[in-house]
Amino acid sequence: MFWDVLKTSVSAITFASALRLSCPLVIGSMGGCFNEKTSTGNLAYECFMLTGCFFAAFGSFISGSPLVGSLIAILSGLALGGIYGLLVYHLNCNAMIVSVAYNNGAWAMTTLLMVITWGVRGNYTDPAIVSYKTINLEFLKQFPVLDTLFNNAIAMVYLSYVIAVIAMIVMYKTPFGLRLRGVGMNPTAAQSAGINVRKYRWLCLLIMGSMMGLAGSYLPLSGSSMFTEKMTDGRGFLCLTAILVGKADPFRTMLLAMLFAYSTALTLVLSSYGLPSQILTMLPYLMVLIVLLVVGVKKYKGIDISNEVI
Amino acid sequence: MIAKNINLDPFKNTKLFTFERKVGVVRYVASFLGVLLLGAVIVAAQGEDPLNAALLILDGAFGGKIQFGNTLRWATPCLFNGVAAIIAFRSGVNNLGIEGQMYIGAFTAGVIGYFCNLPPLVHVIVCLVCAGLAGVVWVAIPALMRLFFQINEYVTTMMMNFIATLLCDYFVIWKIIPALGLTTTSARTPTIQNTAMLSTIVQGTTASTGFFLALAIVLLVFALYRYTIVGYELKQVGENLRFAQVGGVNVKQTFLAIFALSGFCAGLCGGVEVCGGYHKYVSNFSTLMGWEGIMIANICNLNPIALIFVSLIWGALKTGAMAMERATSLNRLTVNLLQMIFVLCVSIDYEGIFRYFEDRKRKRAELAALNGRGGEG
Repeated sequence: MFWDVLKTSVSAITFASALRLSCPLVIGSMGGCFNEKTSTGNLAYECFMLTGCFFAAFGSFISGSPLVGSLIAILSGLALGGIYGLLVYHLNCNAMIVSVAYNNGAWAMTTLLMVITWGVRGNYTDPAIVSYKTINLEFLKQFPVLDTLFNNAIAMVYLSYVIAVIAMIVMYKTPFGLRLRGVGMNPTAAQSAGINVRKYRWLCLLIMGSMMGLAGSYLPLSGSSMFTEKMTDGRGFLCLTAILVGKADPFRTMLLAMLFAYSTALTLVLSSYGLPSQILTMLPYLMVLIVLLVVGVKKYKGIDISNEVI
Repeated sequence: MIAKNINLDPFKNTKLFTFERKVGVVRYVASFLGVLLLGAVIVAAQGEDPLNAALLILDGAFGGKIQFGNTLRWATPCLFNGVAAIIAFRSGVNNLGIEGQMYIGAFTAGVIGYFCNLPPLVHVIVCLVCAGLAGVVWVAIPALMRLFFQINEYVTTMMMNFIATLLCDYFVIWKIIPALGLTTTSARTPTIQNTAMLSTIVQGTTASTGFFLALAIVLLVFALYRYTIVGYELKQVGENLRFAQVGGVNVKQTFLAIFALSGFCAGLCGGVEVCGGYHKYVSNFSTLMGWEGIMIANICNLNPIALIFVSLIWGALKTGAMAMERATSLNRLTVNLLQMIFVLCVSIDYEGIFRYFEDRKRKRAELAALNGRGGEG
């Protein structure tokens, strides 16, 4: 039993599933990195993702094209980001309270919209919500492991890693990224160096909104053709954790997102062994605590609360 | 320079409408109007009459004895969680795990309420105290992680929420239900014993004496902050940690105490929900109650007395929303959404807006004066 479980956890199927599950986490946390780098204290990723989820399903439902679904999801993320920016940057709201209200409001809003459009609660499955087509590369079929790993996924999965590479390049190799990091490190200094801090914050917020929307669109459009209440189920919080623990560095954040995706994949794969599903579902969240503890122990500085928090 | 700032007018501070109060009034009135307007739009968009919906909500919340009892029943968790949030946020502790602490408390109360045989009054007290202590245990993990490894409690408390609900479900489904040989499909513990139930205050509803307990705790917390040195120290830790440290406050101990108090209130909320409301632990019983506590605490500006009124309004909205759902085609989530919009409206920095406009007015006046002088010269 134990060896079976272990063997399954490192099998190609698990990694293939992890790769697919990592897509929304990686896309979302890449967008979130930019936002977090400009130090805004945003915790509302769950809201952005869930709203993106609904609008992707909705867009695909009315137009019959998943691409339109993703586009509408991105627009919804931008709109929510716009309201967030208005409230936090211009009207000086407490970012944390706005985030909490956003996260809870998202559940109410998406469910309400779901009731209005489809007249059901819980979940709604309809072939009219058209998913993306999966990609099958012929030459990979010769290698069974690579076949399971990379074939039969939708294009967005590959896109997520392209986005991650682009995010790394933008963050570390362009003037835009340099200024961005400057804003994050010391807004006052950046301002005196002639950078329009507010403009950079807004840009990053909108990048985050669109990326989160895109990430959300993965969930209903990856083959399930359905929308469920609370569909994101904590993925937004996992994104947030990856960003916070990875210090908004795209590479480290990507690795953490992949780790969380892997532990989510484990819950799916191992449920066939009759293990309690509640304990398995806990895995990603436990993984967060373990990662935090490892980082904390490595940087152990003594018992104190006035030190800077990780 | 300094003499200018000294207040020589003895009546100045006793003025009814100070700047802060004016801002406060504007804050609530503007938010209320904004929510009414948006609410009317949202309700009208669903093809219902907004005025009718509002009347239904009012009637459903205060229309009779039963309705009022339900309002009290739903105000109770708001009071507990609001207090938990106030204690934490006043001292700069970001306890976002109230929801999880509440679940653990509720589960503990459900288990003790069913499995222990104790005399009537003792049983309730044991249940509630253990629920509170369970909340403390649950919050101790993030607290210790913060203390030892400086790990931000933002993330840890949030993750503990998920773990708490799943852990409770696990124990109910995999341990308790098979052990008792129950054949039930829903994840819930059996009904607790009569000795563990809080008595109801309004017949026909689940409004229990837990409401008075909540009121007592709110008033105690108010007194703690208003009249005692401990309360002052707690507040000081939040406002200026260094100053508190230099001033001789045992910061570490105080910090742990804040976590523990906040967790205790949240756990107690779960206990009261089980002993007074549901009479059993029900999986996913809370519809975001813990998060609502955080938002309510923000609405009442971390003031315990204001919390009582806001909680009553919140409970009324919840009860009214259910009545509205029964009578019209509107979903009660409409009210949920409006509550969130209200939170957003209240958290706007009206003082800053006032200052901005005053600044602009002053600058314009100065500019006009300058221009006038320039014209003359």
